[in-house]
Amino acid sequence: MFEELSLHILDIAMNSLAANASKVEISVLESQKRDWLILRVRDNGRGMDAATLHRVLHSRTTSKTSRKKNIGLGLAMLRQTSEMCDGHFHVRSAPGKGTSVTASMRLAHIDRPALGDLNATILTLCAANPATDIRLHYQTDTERFHFSSQEKTS
Amino acid sequence: MNLEQLKQLKDKALKQVALRESGKKYRVVVSMGTSGIAAGARDVMKSMLDEIEKRGLDDVEVRVTGEHGLEDIEPVIQIEEASGETTTYAQLDAEKAKQIVAEHLQKGKKVDKLTVGKQK
Repeated sequence: MFEELSLHILDIAMNSLAANASKVEISVLESQKRDWLILRVRDNGRGMDAATLHRVLHSRTTSKTSRKKNIGLGLAMLRQTSEMCDGHFHVRSAPGKGTSVTASMRLAHIDRPALGDLNATILTLCAANPATDIRLHYQTDTERFHFSSQEKTS
Repeated sequence: MNLEQLKQLKDKALKQVALRESGKKYRVVVSMGTSGIAAGARDVMKSMLDEIEKRGLDDVEVRVTGEHGLEDIEPVIQIEEASGETTTYAQLDAEKAKQIVAEHLQKGKKVDKLTVGKQK
């Protein structure tokens, strides 16, 4: 299991890069008032059809063909973390329409992993594929933060 | 020469072309699949990027890849050289990554005790 939520984010977003996404939007919504934490990774990659999606979610297989051992654990682990923390887990995807993975959890749940080094996750993703627009949207009850790797610096 | 060897030859040639086109001397490929991340590949990558920047090495390119099928010895990185030579380092951490930057990427000396597999 991953010790930090930011490692889950990196893992899911790596799938986006593998799916040839030119844009990956990562949202972290944190509300103490409502006691929730929502993570979302949305991409415009090649997406999955219903059968593949069912397969990656309901069995320990992967859609990746490069591997000899077919174990798909990334999504399953995030689902486990989210459900363990009284949250919900949801994946939407369609061929050509990209993929959106949403995992929620109770912010104050005792088993909720810390967010961890989100910086290192974003840095790794940007370095992994400089051509992809990596976006981060971070929101708490009082503050908002936006980042885009393709942002023009003036 | 069989089909497998031809395929390897082609892969090697493609790597060389890619490196030549990018104008870099080294390409570091970090294995960043689920098992790599779980084993600490992100910290290895960050440490390498920091060290490369600190030492001002601008002929190095850092990329990532998915699983290598080397789950039990992650974190794994491969260093490809413009000559087509590939070196694989395994079971790394942030400190070892810095050492590789200092020795291999700056001085061109392999860190033998951290490599795995036969030298190609």
